Amino acid sequence: MVSGIVFDMQRFSLHDGPGIRTTVFFKGCPLRCLWCHNPESINPKIELAFYKHKCIGCNSCVNICPTGALQNSERDGKSYNIEHCQFCWKCVKVCPSEALVLQGKVVSIDEVLEETSKDIPFYKQSGGGVTLSGGEPTFQFDFCFHLLKGCKEIGINTALDTSGFVSWEKLEVLLPFVDIFLYDIKHMDSGEHKRLTGVSNEIILENLFKLNDAGKDIEVRIPIIPGYNDSKENITAISRFIANLKSIKKVKLLPYHKLGLSKPWLFNNRRGILDLEPPKKEDLEEIKSIMREYIDKEKIY
Amino acid sequence: MPDLTYQEKIDLLRAKKLEHTREKQEVVGFMDHDDWGLILPPPTEREIVRTISSSGMPITDVLLKSFKVIPNHPSGGFFGPRSCGENFRKLLEVHPVYIDPISSLAGAYMVNFMSYRNPHWNPDFDYSHLHKEQELYQLVTGIGATQHFCQDMEIGLRLGWKGILDKIRYFRKINSIESFEFYDGLESVVLGIQNWVYRTAQTAKAMAQYEENLELRRNLEEIAEMNERLINEPPRTFREACQWILWYLITARMYNGSGSLGRLDVMLYPFYKRDKEMGILSDEEAIFHIACLLLRDTAYIQLGGYDRDGKDVTNPLSYLILEAAHQLKIPANIGVCVGEGIDKNLLYRGVEILIKDKTGIPKFLGADNIVNGFAKNGYPLEIARERAYAGCHWYGIPGREYTIMDCVKINFATIFDVALREMMQESGCTPSAKELWDRFTKHLRIAIDTIAKGLDFHLEYMHKVFPELVLDLCSHGPIEKGLDASHGGVEFYNMCVDGAGLATVADSFGAIEERIEKEGKLTWQELMYYLDNNWAGLDGERIRLLMKNTPRYGSGVSIADEYAIRISKVFTQMVKEKPTPNGYNMIPGLFSWANTIPMGKNLGATPNGRHAGDPISHGANPDPGFRKDGAATAMAIAIANVQPGYGNTAPMQLELDPSIDNEKEAIENIANLIKVHFDLGGTMVNINVIDKDKILEAHKDPSKYPDLIVRVTGFSAYFSSLSPEFRQLVVDRIIGNG
Ligand code: SF4
Ligand code: SF4
Repeated sequence: MVSGIVFDMQRFSLHDGPGIRTTVFFKGCPLRCLWCHNPESINPKIELAFYKHKCIGCNSCVNICPTGALQNSERDGKSYNIEHCQFCWKCVKVCPSEALVLQGKVVSIDEVLEETSKDIPFYKQSGGGVTLSGGEPTFQFDFCFHLLKGCKEIGINTALDTSGFVSWEKLEVLLPFVDIFLYDIKHMDSGEHKRLTGVSNEIILENLFKLNDAGKDIEVRIPIIPGYNDSKENITAISRFIANLKSIKKVKLLPYHKLGLSKPWLFNNRRGILDLEPPKKEDLEEIKSIMREYIDKEKIY
Repeated sequence: MPDLTYQEKIDLLRAKKLEHTREKQEVVGFMDHDDWGLILPPPTEREIVRTISSSGMPITDVLLKSFKVIPNHPSGGFFGPRSCGENFRKLLEVHPVYIDPISSLAGAYMVNFMSYRNPHWNPDFDYSHLHKEQELYQLVTGIGATQHFCQDMEIGLRLGWKGILDKIRYFRKINSIESFEFYDGLESVVLGIQNWVYRTAQTAKAMAQYEENLELRRNLEEIAEMNERLINEPPRTFREACQWILWYLITARMYNGSGSLGRLDVMLYPFYKRDKEMGILSDEEAIFHIACLLLRDTAYIQLGGYDRDGKDVTNPLSYLILEAAHQLKIPANIGVCVGEGIDKNLLYRGVEILIKDKTGIPKFLGADNIVNGFAKNGYPLEIARERAYAGCHWYGIPGREYTIMDCVKINFATIFDVALREMMQESGCTPSAKELWDRFTKHLRIAIDTIAKGLDFHLEYMHKVFPELVLDLCSHGPIEKGLDASHGGVEFYNMCVDGAGLATVADSFGAIEERIEKEGKLTWQELMYYLDNNWAGLDGERIRLLMKNTPRYGSGVSIADEYAIRISKVFTQMVKEKPTPNGYNMIPGLFSWANTIPMGKNLGATPNGRHAGDPISHGANPDPGFRKDGAATAMAIAIANVQPGYGNTAPMQLELDPSIDNEKEAIENIANLIKVHFDLGGTMVNINVIDKDKILEAHKDPSKYPDLIVRVTGFSAYFSSLSPEFRQLVVDRIIGNG
């Protein structure tokens, strides 16, 4: 039985493809975007995380930890030395307040399908379905493949939210099982792309071309990170690039936002590398007006 | 000065309404109920009293200085139709006239007649034999409950006040002398209303003479003329019909708080059609008259739905009424019918307004399940389809069905508490979830039986205490038979029995099974220790969180989910098993109204991690925080699964985040969510579309957002008018705390 590691499943998700959807968040990602708003998705392994505001200080976790990996800390409430950890998760089980939690859970295809099947009546009525997101879903390729296939077998519409940073051979295998691709474009300049995300953009752009030729429905998504990729040049370049790709049904801006309290602390300080002001409404309008010069305005969201 | 546009007039009326509301907040303080349309009497006429509200809360109320009731009983109270009618007539005769020259309709009500009733119950009619159980289970018995059924206003629109008076006099001659007292009461009410309308017409005439603005003068003259006619005659035009309805509404509201209206679109349609055909009414003007009507009372209105034969009754007015609420943007209670055979565009337009205005208006009604469910009580579909939405969470057959909806509540959490304590105190009893369940159902049975006896008692005596003198006027039967609606006057008796606190109990059972029985993380004795100490201390808090963080009702796969379904099933089955001892049908529903706070006040800590005194869970809703993603679809499924299914509702109260990047898609998605909830069995949906940050700020300083409107439960209200406790409740739901 194929299984994988997901860090969340969100029902009634309205922003990840058409209709009412359930989004399955995969753990693991080959990119390192500076603005990553799902830092808990980067590491492919299950990891320990901490919500300081939920902790009542009962100390059950520290007391039960067999190795002393988990300690109290003046500054952060708890400190965690991964080198000393046995990954027994006793600390999590004993925590009454869900302050200590695991990011990531091993789940089988059947388990995911059971959860995602619950909202089938809503998918049917709304044209929605299941979205695979992350992380980068193709990073756990087998799991991704089997989940998509499993969804299609029971008639669920599928969306794949991908960075496109994956070999074409793999993408091609997935094609028959994906109804719509949610496809990120971050920067047109390869050097800049590498600086911002850790990888260059050639494969990504090439794959987009090929997907377009394959005739798959595509929704392009552009994260708008003030000062990083929102220049007129970049927006124009992106617009020009996608203007002639017929399979692109929608282009959506994803404005940068600050991570809320809802995000747990991962101990190793991987969160919030950027701390920016979110783009203003006027700035977004400005960007959209640039895009409208190249792209059908009905498609821009 | 050029004539004002209708929109400008509506804006002015809204501003005035906000002023009135602010004044009410200053004088009366918090109002944990519908905003209603009450306007304070002029300062010189005010007598401010401290009293106890019907839900047992101390409140401030304002009485009219110039009016005192005449008691007819040693207790100081006044009882029976004659005395109630005469006293009410006197109030109507001294009630100040209210005319806003901008509004097309005259009249507003300023005091609650109910506040003059002291005591409410006639002590001669003793029901102390029921006290023991009523108190043990803290039942909301419905004894002495008023209104909460739906009149048929078409009777009044056809007859006018004089026609109603003639009808009373006609049947007085036919019926026996025993009903004379009742007819006296009815007559008094009509004469009082006629006097009020007459004085209003005179005042409008006088005001017109001094009004310098030509447009306003013309309006005042029209008001004078229209009301002079309406003293006796039935309405002819659309505007007159709105005015007539308003008189009836505010009279009913003032008499005993009734806010039932029903199918406004259907009842006004003949007038609309006639005026349109004659070319004397534009849609803009129609919207304006409706807005003027909505301004003065937050009555409960149904739009669209089925007629007797199952045909869709949605008409152009259904849309205009929605439009009026949209332009007015004040609290209102408008329900849009959703169903297989019903115009879908009405749903879409409703959702669009919901998203745009963010006032919780309209709400949505699952017509098919209401109709089919009600038919299960043994009614033909033709009759079931006649039921109209007319109150917070309820429907009624206009003028033919007596129900005291929303006035009878069984708090499952109290029943649970009694069962738990009994089990733990009984020596020789080994506690277990199974044992607890058996005792829970045993006590639930006794509670329902007590309720049933109380309902019989109410139906026996209420007419001698405080009869339905206003709603009787527009019902089928009371005048004809000489019997009050609460005492055999109407055709059908379907008594409401609502369960409350479903999630509190389901989650408590779930936590017990999970933590005590499956995991052995604590013992029954320890549980009792923590409950009795209200989870005190760090260890108490640790255990509390442990219990609270068991998978809850609404998560979709939990033990608590199973319990919620079991509780609803056993409750439904027990209510339906037999009628009251006197043979009256009872119908189960799940709804707590605003009672979640008082029902929690007297209740100790519960095993779901709830602190003593905290509110119980809301209606059929899962507790806030029931899932990490708070998924509306999960909630929609859970609540559809616990529907009792006999035509009374178990509403879904939903809070949605307005982070909507495309309005068209959002409308589609929300409309689809509603549709599927109804497909799965749901009966009613209340939605707030509210910004989390905004509600948090408004909670800190309500005065910053005087016009923020929220759907509290079945009703909508200004957030700033609610008490801090109530605001907290709304905030918790929206933030997903808990
Ligand atoms: S997982 Fe085990 S070893 Fe690691 S911190 Fe938690 S209790 Fe300690
Ligand atoms: S067990 Fe949980 S609540 Fe207790 S100290 Fe540890 S993290 Fe905090």
